Amino acid sequence: MSTQAPRPRVAALALAVGLVLADSSVVVLALPEIYRELDTSVAGVTWVLISFNLVMALAAVPAALLARRFGPGRAAAVGLAIFAGAGLACGLSDQLSTLIVARCVQALGGALAVTAALELLPATVGSERRAAVVWASAGATGAALGPAVGGLLTELVSWQSIFLIQVPVALGAAVPILAVARHEAVTGIIEPELRRTGRPHFWANVALAMVSAAIAAALFLLVLLLIEGWRLSPIGAAIVVSVMPLAALVGSRLGGYVESARARAAAGAILVSGGLGGLALLPSAEVALTVPPQILVGVGLSLVLSALTETALGGRAPQAIHGGWTISARHAGVVIGLLALTPIFTHDIAEQRVDAINAGTAVILDSPVEPLLKIKLTQKVTDRLDEEKGKVPTIGPAFEPLPTDPRERAETVQLREELQDQLNRGATHAFSLSFGLAALLGLLALIPIALARRVEL
Amino acid sequence: MNRARLLIVGAIVASLALVGVYLAAGGASYTPEKSKNPCKQRPWTNPGSLQEIAQQISLSALDGAACELGVSRETLARALTTEEARERFAKRYGIDDAKLAEAIRAGLVRAVTDAERAGALSPLIAGPLRSFVEDIPLDQAIELIKNGSSLIESVRNLLGPAGDLLEQLLP
Repeated sequence: MSTQAPRPRVAALALAVGLVLADSSVVVLALPEIYRELDTSVAGVTWVLISFNLVMALAAVPAALLARRFGPGRAAAVGLAIFAGAGLACGLSDQLSTLIVARCVQALGGALAVTAALELLPATVGSERRAAVVWASAGATGAALGPAVGGLLTELVSWQSIFLIQVPVALGAAVPILAVARHEAVTGIIEPELRRTGRPHFWANVALAMVSAAIAAALFLLVLLLIEGWRLSPIGAAIVVSVMPLAALVGSRLGGYVESARARAAAGAILVSGGLGGLALLPSAEVALTVPPQILVGVGLSLVLSALTETALGGRAPQAIHGGWTISARHAGVVIGLLALTPIFTHDIAEQRVDAINAGTAVILDSPVEPLLKIKLTQKVTDRLDEEKGKVPTIGPAFEPLPTDPRERAETVQLREELQDQLNRGATHAFSLSFGLAALLGLLALIPIALARRVEL
Repeated sequence: MNRARLLIVGAIVASLALVGVYLAAGGASYTPEKSKNPCKQRPWTNPGSLQEIAQQISLSALDGAACELGVSRETLARALTTEEARERFAKRYGIDDAKLAEAIRAGLVRAVTDAERAGALSPLIAGPLRSFVEDIPLDQAIELIKNGSSLIESVRNLLGPAGDLLEQLLP
């Protein structure tokens, strides 16, 4: 099967896996931009994320079967071509509906490419165990880097560029794999490799789904809080959420010292929940306060995801099918997390907006500034809240120009700060329940982790 | 303790420490500011000038009018900012101009009475002021509620040449 030196092929396969799994989260930081540009709702824009993950969840196992039936080289090449074509369609979309449809097609191609890559890797790297490590690492790296890369591209170029840049990368990754595809067409090597598919590791996959739901919620909600609540730019938010992948690197080193997969899984789930608990209890609207919770989530996710994937794949063949089950479980978890939490936080954000308007008006009315100025400020602050479509506004402009009289100026500045503090605290509070529920979900994952220990390990 | 147990204990300790520190720092203390009942009189401070009296009368009148209409003070304040805001408010709450005018007049009367009871306005001023606000048209009533100073100016005009003595009529 080897038609060329394996190194470029390993790199191409790792790149394909990283690219596709990054796509699950790459768009997170662009969602606020898409939300405004395509004039949709928060609930609507989450479908850009949900659609991709839903199709990945549904298509991963059938895609793995297809890859084994028609040849993993051909499946990977076709998958990457579909992924690239759909990425182009995503980048050219000017409506939410076409973007979501293109994302679904992208996920179909992605599922085919990722599962086929796991089927190709053992022959390329020499063993199934090594293949699983390369595959899992590439996926984790892609998923970890995705949000930061997406944030940078959104800020520096546009949200469309996130998808357009994937086109040459996916096609570039397909080139070394084409040789394998051609080889398969000539030799027809599929039949000898087919083996009986074993039962998937049920509890490990259930735990993966639950933990993935909690992690997806952590990332999605944190990004929304940073951009919509605290008014950070996509680049600023990208830098802030980079703490999570950096902490994940530390977590992967830490995991290397502990052999027991169930201990790593349990510790990881506890850390993810602890971090989410911290995000639910942020004492004030300060970016620095998100760092300790993110460190816990980052270390935790690396421990729990690798341990559960290892458990789900361990001793099971064929790897592509079981890899398909883990992909399916993880993406189903993301979908469940987003579907369960979206109505909760959208309701809380809407309620917070009403509270913010009332609190802001009350602060202005009770302030010592001159009555006519109060009425003007009430009007301007309400207008700013309306203009920002639910985003917590920077209300500074509503207070311009500041009065020239020193006493009035000082009163107005104090009022401005008090009002902004009210709005920021309200925005932070709007996410608390959702973060709390995600933390609970992470803790509940300890049940399948414990059952996996008793029943199957 | 083996490494596996150490890892789990470490995770529990780190998680509890973070949650504990954030709780201690007030992480669960936020409660959204709720609108106060406008029918309940707010305490009057001791005003030192006509301007401060005017401020308190404006707020008290706003409370009184909001109480009459069954809405919050904040909702009514936003409704009075512009003509469009007033129309939206009228449509949403089914309140026509006549009802709004009636409520604002009642609010102004309540504010003057509150000020008199609190000793902030002399009965010599409060009496004519009450009579004055009882019949004013809507636009003027809104103007008075937006700007208490214009209320004082109206009294000054009502008093004619004696208006200059207004400052001295402060208790």
